[in-house]
Amino acid sequence: MDDYPAGSLDHNAPLLVVSGLGTGATKPLLADPDLKEHGIPIRSELPPIDGREAKTILHYIQEADATNWSWNPTETKKHRFKIKTIGREFLLPPRRARLPEDYEVPLSPPVLHSPFSPLSPGSTLYPDGLIDARWLAKHQELIPSICLCFYSLTTDPSLATLHDNRLKTDINAVKHALSQSGHKCRLAVVILSDQAPGAMEPFQERLEHIRRGTGLDPKTSLFVLPTKRSEAELEMAADSVLSSVFTQATEYYRDLGRRTRKKKGRGVAPQPTIPPTSGTSHTLSLQGWNVRYDFKAAVFAEFRQDMEAALRSYEQAYESLFGTDVLEMVPSWSPRFNDGRLLADVIAVRILRCLFWTGQSTAAVRRWQAHRYKLSDFLDQRGRGTQNYGWQAWESRWAEVMARLIEKAEFPELEPSSLNLFRAPEKALSAERLQPWEMLHHPGYWYRIAARHTLDRRKLAYSIPEDARKPPDPTVASKMVVNTYNSYDTYMCPEPYEEYPLEGQGTNHAQKAITHLNLAIGEFQKRKQRRLAMEVALESSVELERIKAWKQLLEFLTPVWRAMSFRSENWWNLTEALSWILRKAAAHAGQADLVIAIDWELMNSQYNRRPQWQYDINKSLEGVEVEEAPEVSLNDDAITSFLESSFIFKHGEGRAGQTCPAQLAITSKAFSGSAPVVLDEIHVEFEGSLRALHLEHESDSTKLSSKPGGMVVTSPSLAETKLDVDTLPDDDSDEAPSSPHVMVLKGHDDLTIAAGQTRVFEVDIPLREAGEGKATSVRVKLAPGAFTLNYTMQLREDNSTGLWYVAPAKRRVTRINPLSIKVLPRPPKMEVKFVNVLKQYYAGEPIHIEVQLINEEDVEANTRLDVHLYGQDVPHFKAHAEDGSEDKSSAGEGEEAKLDGLIIGTIEASKSAKATVVIDPINRPTAYDLTIKAWYTLVTDPGTHIVQIVAFQLNIVNPFEASYDLVPRLHSEPWPSIFDYETVRELDDDDGSSSRPRGLAQKWCLVTRFGSFATEDLRVVDLDLQVKGTQGGVVCSASKNQTLPEDGVLMAPKTMEEARFDLVAQKLSLDDRNPSTADLEFMINWRRTSADPASTPNATTFLLDPFYVTVAEPRVLASVYYSVASSPSSPKSTTPATPSFSSASPQIIILDITIENPSSHFLTFGLTMEPSDEFAFSGAKTTSLNVLPVARRTVTYRLMPVVEGGSWIKPQIVVRDKYFQKVLKIIPTEGMKREGDNIMIWVPGQDADDEKGEETSEE
Amino acid sequence: MATAIPAIACLGVIGRNNNPLHTTILPTTTDPQTGRPAPLRTPLQFSLLLSSTLDIFESRARHAVASNTLLSGDFGLLHAVDDRLAAYGFETNTGVKFVAVVDMRGRILSGGVKTGVTSPGGGAGTAAGAGGGGAAATGTGPSSVVGAVGLRDGELKVVFRAMQTAYVRLLQNPFYDPEEGAKAGQLQQKRITSRRFAEEMRRIGDKWVPGGVNTL
Repeated sequence: MDDYPAGSLDHNAPLLVVSGLGTGATKPLLADPDLKEHGIPIRSELPPIDGREAKTILHYIQEADATNWSWNPTETKKHRFKIKTIGREFLLPPRRARLPEDYEVPLSPPVLHSPFSPLSPGSTLYPDGLIDARWLAKHQELIPSICLCFYSLTTDPSLATLHDNRLKTDINAVKHALSQSGHKCRLAVVILSDQAPGAMEPFQERLEHIRRGTGLDPKTSLFVLPTKRSEAELEMAADSVLSSVFTQATEYYRDLGRRTRKKKGRGVAPQPTIPPTSGTSHTLSLQGWNVRYDFKAAVFAEFRQDMEAALRSYEQAYESLFGTDVLEMVPSWSPRFNDGRLLADVIAVRILRCLFWTGQSTAAVRRWQAHRYKLSDFLDQRGRGTQNYGWQAWESRWAEVMARLIEKAEFPELEPSSLNLFRAPEKALSAERLQPWEMLHHPGYWYRIAARHTLDRRKLAYSIPEDARKPPDPTVASKMVVNTYNSYDTYMCPEPYEEYPLEGQGTNHAQKAITHLNLAIGEFQKRKQRRLAMEVALESSVELERIKAWKQLLEFLTPVWRAMSFRSENWWNLTEALSWILRKAAAHAGQADLVIAIDWELMNSQYNRRPQWQYDINKSLEGVEVEEAPEVSLNDDAITSFLESSFIFKHGEGRAGQTCPAQLAITSKAFSGSAPVVLDEIHVEFEGSLRALHLEHESDSTKLSSKPGGMVVTSPSLAETKLDVDTLPDDDSDEAPSSPHVMVLKGHDDLTIAAGQTRVFEVDIPLREAGEGKATSVRVKLAPGAFTLNYTMQLREDNSTGLWYVAPAKRRVTRINPLSIKVLPRPPKMEVKFVNVLKQYYAGEPIHIEVQLINEEDVEANTRLDVHLYGQDVPHFKAHAEDGSEDKSSAGEGEEAKLDGLIIGTIEASKSAKATVVIDPINRPTAYDLTIKAWYTLVTDPGTHIVQIVAFQLNIVNPFEASYDLVPRLHSEPWPSIFDYETVRELDDDDGSSSRPRGLAQKWCLVTRFGSFATEDLRVVDLDLQVKGTQGGVVCSASKNQTLPEDGVLMAPKTMEEARFDLVAQKLSLDDRNPSTADLEFMINWRRTSADPASTPNATTFLLDPFYVTVAEPRVLASVYYSVASSPSSPKSTTPATPSFSSASPQIIILDITIENPSSHFLTFGLTMEPSDEFAFSGAKTTSLNVLPVARRTVTYRLMPVVEGGSWIKPQIVVRDKYFQKVLKIIPTEGMKREGDNIMIWVPGQDADDEKGEETSEE
Repeated sequence: MATAIPAIACLGVIGRNNNPLHTTILPTTTDPQTGRPAPLRTPLQFSLLLSSTLDIFESRARHAVASNTLLSGDFGLLHAVDDRLAAYGFETNTGVKFVAVVDMRGRILSGGVKTGVTSPGGGAGTAAGAGGGGAAATGTGPSSVVGAVGLRDGELKVVFRAMQTAYVRLLQNPFYDPEEGAKAGQLQQKRITSRRFAEEMRRIGDKWVPGGVNTL
């Protein structure tokens, strides 16, 4: 756009000259010396206004200059001015041109015209030019529409009249000068007053005076601006002045437009001041004049910002220009031909701008195309055709102009932030079938087209024949020059001998194209069109390559090459196109690392083979100047190479201490015929517990098959070696090992890989530690001398893994994750056994568990034990090793008790050691888990811990179960009698001592039956009953009723035994008659039959429910004695409850019925003995019995059984409480039993078989 | 003056990971030397062109996510590269993209007879020399063959529908795995090699005319 004459394409805004603000020297409007000489000065005599307010207003007005505004109607301001600030004077261009000096004055005075008109002989357009940029400049730069003069109003009353008069005079003078100039400029005056807006009242009269004296209209041309207000208000006031003035300016241009139309309406071509005498004496035709008038009208409309009108007039001018009698009359060799083309371009650009202004973007694109077509048709017919560089130069310019116009128009739809690439068509056209290009695309596309045309221009320029490229010889006849001139279109572009000279630099097409392409890249990048930007970058780099700007190319393309998405998205052809260019640049610039990287990448046969290219990475740097051997590190994230690697463990699991076969396969996908790659080393990194694998090259040509392709399996042997870290490249420094050495598995093999070959290295990887191991990356190193290349490949899961190569075929291994191996711990060869385990463990006994550790390893093992016991309420335990080290378990916290690290010591190979765990006795049946972990290390490999675990379930059961009965017995001692004075006194005497119970005593018998629940014979050593506690003020004592044998009783499993204990309870106080209870504990002391008889017996204890040991209710107890009638010596046997005697019958049975009354009531009982045919009895058949409180009475019956001995008799005795009419139950005691409500008495037989007598009464 | 109508210059299938799956290039111009039908651009240029449409697919998809407008799959006009070539796009719900590059002056109608891609624009008006195709091929001058026929966005729907049908048919082949090698992201990613698919693409490209209502 800059190629066009200045101002010819710009948008026109009314010119406003601001005078009287600030004194600063300003550039004179009129610079042309010729015009200046005859310029009309407009001068004001008053000094310019100075001061802060004036500066503020000036600043604001200058801000409002619309020169750099975008070309669209979105600006919110009501006015749009091009503003020029002057001091107090400026020059207007002369209205009339002068006559040439050598001209003879004709008879009639010549008609003088504007100096810019083709009619004036001095004009460049004379005699047949159309219009040029000077005319535009005249209106835009020289002749203001408004001359805005600032004056100040003095406040000094004494000077008021004088000042006002001077002001009036000055205004009138300027006004006069303007009108005399012949231009229609308007004058607007702003009077500044230093008053506040409200305080202007006193000055109204003076202002009115001035107004009347100058004839200015206060609405349109005389403004008063009180300056005593805030800056914002001042700005607003200035703004309103500008808006009013703008209306005036619009009027001014409307007048001019009207005048132009009038001229056109005349329909005659005006005659020049002097008829042309030189050249063809051709003058401008009427059609040409119409073009001129239409163009002028359009420009004036544009000044008014009336774009629709401007558009119409421009279109008209354009039509006329290409219509009859204008351009077609101009011969193509004439300079006017190119002037006409220029005008056509200017009109077309202005049309485009008008279309953009009104939002008709699609129409604009069509118009753009139409101008192209029009011009190409026109040139083909009238000019020098379109098959030349000049046309392409124009095409390029035309596209660039469009781009610039779009940029200036600033469509919100095409803002980079909107990410729109093109603007939707205007409504009127949206229903049409549109060409896609007719959607207005953003400038990037247009710049790109401009660049493309530049390249076409070059193509055509290069086809210029040599003789045209010679600079014209000034001596040769001008005919030749004309000839050359004729055949080349040089519209706005150089002559062929400058465009592409034989010698020296011509037009730098590449640079032009690159400029455009870079602009395009900028636009594309702004809109996130990465790939398109890359594409354009590629085009740009082709040009850079052409001009051999290697450094620039490298800087430009290297980042693109590194980050290009073509590679990651598999656009191979694009990747390689870019890479080759970059390689060339890198080779020229000596960027060796880049050359190697690109060569390395491009060896992949996925790319297209470059003809005559030697694919050999070792010779990569041939012809490249390198200062020192470069070291290049690449990885497959950035670059895809021809080498592919895979790794596989043959087994998914292995054990520490063993080895696992694994295969590393490296496949070369290089171009067939490319030189084999000799790797210097291969390094496989593992994650987890595995050591890195390091293979080094060792030339051995015999092993490898020379044929390319196919597969070679070799198995290098590995050895663990220390590798200096320094030799490793620290490309990933984040995992820098702390030690300067790392242990690697090192092997040697021939690492030559031919194109298409798959090298398989089968190795045995020793597994050291348990855990997951995973192959992560393979790094290969090349060091052919000229450089060092490290290439790292990440091992990924893909289709090529999972293959186990077996020469010559390959076998698929269905492994989910062939890269990793699970290393199980070394299998323990330590046997841990529980020895001397008992069949059953019982509650109450300490549990001994013996553990035997048998070392079946080949060497001695350092061993320690961890013992854990799990279960509910875990007891403490102890453990000790054979050699005596002992340890206690940590406090058993609820569910777990443990003992860690019991040192067993070194166990020799195939020897054993023992440890014992002793668990404290447990009182209840339960279950525990005992876990024993044997940790050991072999002396040969102290780093590896080996673990053997055994678990043992401990079930603890009760060895015995027992049931209990408490039956009443008659206490033999008499109750204290309140009639017995001695006992009473004794009681009184002992009042002070509380130790001796004085209450009633009752006797009971506890019958215990216990059974063995053990699984083996147990020896019961002792039985015991203990009173653990009493409630209710009672003293209770238990005594054993029978004794066990000395060595105890041997109880077989599931047998029952019975034990009886006497229990005597005595209330502490006689007065206390509440019932009381006792808590009893039954204990069985026992021992296993296998146990040492001297050892402490185990005790199994049963807690009994509380029993009532004294009652407050009256009770009736029956007791029986036997007496033999024939033995007078003992008429009354006093041995109770032991009817173990043999006596002759008839015998007498004495039955005592004892009524106890522990209550404090006087009770009367009735006693009735029913006769029976089983026995005869003596005693009261019916009697009443009074029992005093706290007393007992006994009634005795003598029975003589009449039944055979050895049977039971059933006396029917009823004891009835007379008062309550309640029958009391008679409680049998020793030697009796109860049946129903009755008691039964045993009658011993003759043969004294007393087995039934042993039975106790049952309750 | 001969009239040119749009014709398909290139059909591209781009995979889910923006990887090229298939490209069919159709001749829409004539070689100025031999006079034979020839493609308008080189395969490399078409590759670049297809790749550049990915920017627009991405940007539109992002925009759709942001504004929560569900995409219908048909992206319509992606962009016009210049006054001749324009790219239209379609994305399936599995992320496979179809791109049709239309040459707006790809087919010349002369004398009302459709002559396909041949016809080196004869006639008095073609003073530019090589007619529509030829002029553009050498990049000189706007063609005197005026592209009179525009395009509406929906007019390529038939093409995309036909392409999708062909692609679905390809997927039905149990031996074709569209994701093959996709995980590795490396060299293995396969292009479509089915000859039938390629032929189908060529047929679609040949048969399509703007404004046609029949399915291809």
